[in-house]
Amino acid sequence: MSLLEAKNLTHVFPEGTVAIKDISLKINSGEFVIIAGANGSGKTVFIRHLNGLLVPTKGEVLINGKPIKKNITLARRKIGLIFQDSDSQIVGQTVAEDVAFGPENLNLPIAEVEKAVRESLEIVGISDLSTKSPHTLSGGQKKKLAVAGVLAMNPNIIIFDEPLAGLDYPGVVQVLRQLDELHKAGNTIILVTHELEKTLAHADRLVIFHKGELVEDGKPEDVIYCSEKYGVRMPLRNGGEIGSMTWLR
Amino acid sequence: MDGRIKLLCMVLLSLSASFASEWQHYLTLLSLVFIALIITKLPIIALLKDMKFFAIIILIVLFTNAFNVPGDPIPGFPIERVSMQGVITGLRFAGRLITIIMVCTVVTGTTSLLTFKNVIEWYLRPVPFIPEVRIATMISLTFALIPVIFDSYTEIMNAQKSRCIELRKNPIKRVNFIVFPLLGQILRRADEIVYAMESRCYSEVRTRALFKINKLDWFILAICATSLLFVVA
Ligand SMILES: Nc1ncnc2c1ncn2[C@@H]1O[C@H](COP(=O)(O)OP(=O)(O)OP(=O)(O)O)[C@@H](O)[C@H]1O
Ligand SMILES: [Mg+2]
Repeated sequence: MSLLEAKNLTHVFPEGTVAIKDISLKINSGEFVIIAGANGSGKTVFIRHLNGLLVPTKGEVLINGKPIKKNITLARRKIGLIFQDSDSQIVGQTVAEDVAFGPENLNLPIAEVEKAVRESLEIVGISDLSTKSPHTLSGGQKKKLAVAGVLAMNPNIIIFDEPLAGLDYPGVVQVLRQLDELHKAGNTIILVTHELEKTLAHADRLVIFHKGELVEDGKPEDVIYCSEKYGVRMPLRNGGEIGSMTWLR
Repeated sequence: MDGRIKLLCMVLLSLSASFASEWQHYLTLLSLVFIALIITKLPIIALLKDMKFFAIIILIVLFTNAFNVPGDPIPGFPIERVSMQGVITGLRFAGRLITIIMVCTVVTGTTSLLTFKNVIEWYLRPVPFIPEVRIATMISLTFALIPVIFDSYTEIMNAQKSRCIELRKNPIKRVNFIVFPLLGQILRRADEIVYAMESRCYSEVRTRALFKINKLDWFILAICATSLLFVVA
């Protein structure tokens, strides 16, 4: 049984846009999956179904074989979602308060909340910023804060929506290292990105969306050659290797 | 110091200030505030500078009272309309204002927003029909959104300036170009924040802040209560 399964998901917005059409995808525990696709191809809409933020017009999402709508809180704890725009994810006035938001929602005892905050800030390496106001942080630091806020809920699937957009070289390296570490620690990672040349080396699997449909799904080396007709730049030029497609190292 | 006690002290002292009428009262209250200022190590000079704005209001209060309260003229004072009683009432009001402002400055200067929010939530807990958790969340969100809104505003302004919005002479049109995009952005932001909160399991049954009152807190509360009694009596 797969850890997370989307079954025939279709989402039609009220004004008639068909954002995703009949998408089925199974994700196994410990996998690192990259979802790529042109702007507006439905990636963000799709991942927002996975933890029940959006309700499908048709189809369903299963976690460990059970529909998430039976226990939406469990799904949201187990699936951490890091948004495309970190600013909209910030709800606290200080870094520590923001990270505490999730555990406080779960009504954990205050000692456990504090422990979760301390540990997650340590994992992402911004413990020294804990009393700062989130809006004064840099782009990379905000991403780390968003990751810490998700880690404090102790998820085992972490979804990143375009975490590299707008980051400079050190920022990209920091986020990639984070992704890599989280994956090595046993988490299942779903990464939505346009920037395959920075990330593909880490992935076990590449999924391509096109106009709301899932058009390719397979090992990176098998899928990458037909990516360009779907508006995803083929990052391999002149015999490069997939193993070289990362900004780490 | 416990936030709840601090807020209570602030209310007590402000009440005392508004009841105060004799100069002894003001002296006691102001010396209390000054002791607090010294203990909390707030930058006194900087605070006094911030009070310049209030100084104008206080002067206005003083003058209006001096001119408008009827009474005996001050012997030897050139302007006849200024009465003895007027000056005294004016001074009283000014004294009250100064004390209240000082008390509030000390409290806000030493309390974080987070504490304030938690304290307000705590005081609202026993009040029926008031969703205290929701109010506390609203307070946090408001303060979280203000910088974001401000940034969006600057961003939109700059974007429009770089497309020469200044050349438009009609001010109403110009305001339109700012207000509508800004409103749109704020609404979209609010939507996103709701999603973000939901994906982190937002719930109104949540971990409550812990408060701890120690002896010193009770002692300070006692002082404030005594000062109120002293003033009222
Ligand atoms: N709230 C909404 N109401 C109506 N249509 C929407 C809404 N959100 C998204 N859409 C539409 O759904 C489609 C898919 O959007 P989505 O945000 O998933 O794209 P994306 O693949 O994430 O693109 P990008 O790479 O730009 O982030 C788009 O055509 C978009 O216009
Ligand atoms: Mg998107």
